[in-house]
Amino acid sequence: MLQANYFDGRSTRVHVVGVSVAGDDLVIAGEGVNFRVPFADVKVDERLGLAPRSLRFKDGAFCEIRDLDSLDTLLRSTAHRDGPVDRLQRSLRFVLFSCVACVLIAVAAYRWGLPWAAGEGAKHLPPVIGKTLSVQTLKILDGAILTPSKIDKERQEALRTKFHSLRLQEGGTPSSALLFRGSPQLGANAFTLPDGTIIVLDELVTAMGDDQQILAVLAHELGHVHGRHGLQLLLRSSAVGAFWTFYIGDVSSLLAAAPAAVVEAKYSQELERQADDYGAALLLHNGLSPGLLADALQKLTERHPGASKAGFLSSHPSTDERMRRLRLLSPSTPPIE
Amino acid sequence: MENVSGSGSPKQASPARAPQPLSFTGKGGEYFGIWIVNLLLTIVTLGIYSAWAKVRRLQYFYRHTQLAGSSFDFHGSPIKILIGRVIALVMLVCYNFSVRLQSSMTLVILLIVAVVMPWLLRNSFRFRLYNTSWRGTRFHFRGSVAGSYRVFLLNGFLTLITFYVMAPFMHQRLKAYQHDNSYFGRTQCSFHARAGQFYLIYLLLLAAMVAFFVVMGVAGVGSALSTMVHQRQAGKVDPALVLRTVLILYGALILVGVSIGPTFRALITNLIWNNTRVGEHRIECNLSPLILIWISVSNMVLIVLTLGLFMPWAAVRLAKYQIESMRLVPASDLQEFEAAEPESLGAVGEETATVFDFDISL
Repeated sequence: MLQANYFDGRSTRVHVVGVSVAGDDLVIAGEGVNFRVPFADVKVDERLGLAPRSLRFKDGAFCEIRDLDSLDTLLRSTAHRDGPVDRLQRSLRFVLFSCVACVLIAVAAYRWGLPWAAGEGAKHLPPVIGKTLSVQTLKILDGAILTPSKIDKERQEALRTKFHSLRLQEGGTPSSALLFRGSPQLGANAFTLPDGTIIVLDELVTAMGDDQQILAVLAHELGHVHGRHGLQLLLRSSAVGAFWTFYIGDVSSLLAAAPAAVVEAKYSQELERQADDYGAALLLHNGLSPGLLADALQKLTERHPGASKAGFLSSHPSTDERMRRLRLLSPSTPPIE
Repeated sequence: MENVSGSGSPKQASPARAPQPLSFTGKGGEYFGIWIVNLLLTIVTLGIYSAWAKVRRLQYFYRHTQLAGSSFDFHGSPIKILIGRVIALVMLVCYNFSVRLQSSMTLVILLIVAVVMPWLLRNSFRFRLYNTSWRGTRFHFRGSVAGSYRVFLLNGFLTLITFYVMAPFMHQRLKAYQHDNSYFGRTQCSFHARAGQFYLIYLLLLAAMVAFFVVMGVAGVGSALSTMVHQRQAGKVDPALVLRTVLILYGALILVGVSIGPTFRALITNLIWNNTRVGEHRIECNLSPLILIWISVSNMVLIVLTLGLFMPWAAVRLAKYQIESMRLVPASDLQEFEAAEPESLGAVGEETATVFDFDISL
């Protein structure tokens, strides 16, 4: 005899009852309760660990059962069969398999799925989104950390002309707008907005020995433009942020923000390398040496002794490694000095 | 039923009248198996199975929560939850893009979200409560639509234009709207905390934070900075000192970051439940901020170290502590509750609220 608490679904009164099987029926009998019901009309809760299970009847009444072993014994003498998920949840082998599978899927999604999706997404987003984002970003930056450029107009025009006469490998010339700004905080830096606008800071112009080095930095930035890296990063961090909020949100909302930053740093290293490669190829295509970009990097490293956090170098892969790569791509440029 | 009339017998200290602690019997290892299998099924079905996984998760936690020898239960239908999730996802995408884009569309989309949100949140309360039961008797939420617009839109607007001075007041109104309109069967719940008590907790935490930063600023960073200024005048700044200062600053920020949330949650949850009644039955809640900080921080660390696999243990630990810190103080026999007429509700509201990360902390 299986002991259960019977509730009629209309009040919270507990009726202690015994449950037994009689042919195809269940018999429920106890204080003030005594009835028979065809087992086919009874819904049995699936197992959820050692949580109590209930036998549910059509009128909303049910029997709550804590003695799970006796329930199993009783169910074996009926037509009841455990559901497929119920069995999977209790199979140690399947639990271990799920464990391995989930980890592998997560690694694969992070390593290949996310970059692919962000790349495709950035390619197919309507240009108006990049445009609006850029206008907004520039407005915010101009109000906060950017000041008007102190470089005279002729020099700006001269650099612009040189920049726009670069020949792209994919044909044509750069269509990016080239803007000049000053910024005491950011120092020697250049960056690209999602719509391809390139912003060069005064200190970068003055730091470089000659215009060819500036062009080399711009070639690197064109790599970001070409790969739509701004939008890619935005999509990646949004996706990672959304995932972590979903995954960990009910335990800690604070922690949810952190991985996005880590992922961003890692991915941006990859994107920097892509931009370097693109820049190097572009320089070669224009009869210039990729070593120019390496020289530019060296100049910037010298200006920022130690690990500078603000500037062209931040979040980039080890500068030494980048310079080495670039110099390998150069036909025969002697290193500076 | 013999105990329907609310006039309890004057007999004191009968077993049924003693305080009834809530207990939670779930185990991390046990939940892990359920969690990981459902996670895999969710991934393999591209998220569709997540609705079924959610029902199972809630059932696991509800059925392991016991009061006076009986379990709670969750009855939500996975299909309704799935529909809710789809709508929530669409809204989330629109919302995210509009916020990032900051174009003229932003205002339109935010306006739509603002107009739809109170209605959805009210539905979410209704869905969650209607599908929660104890001893076969369901909870209900009967807050009016007008009330939800007052609580979310009007008070939200007032909070914004008063630069959050009214935030504690709004919090109190929200909880009053939720708890005053909640029913267990036919028994109405009531909320008795005053806005002043909410202000006290908010101000206490604000003062603690300000005091902490002042001490930090003066003692730690101030002295390091002055040394650095001296060194700079001498021509050489010690990088180790700069690093140490930055680390101390980060450490302090993290410390405040991880302790402020759990402390606030402990204090406010205690206030809310200690001032909520189910009919004449009182509820007591006694969360300790220190223990909650410890659980949150250790959960975080372990989740990171195990690449997320500690999640089920973390969830069980947190639930166990929170649930077992509560107890019901009955004013009469707990057998007297009566069920109300059945209703049918969709899950749209609840899912949207979950995705948009509104805390409906029940």
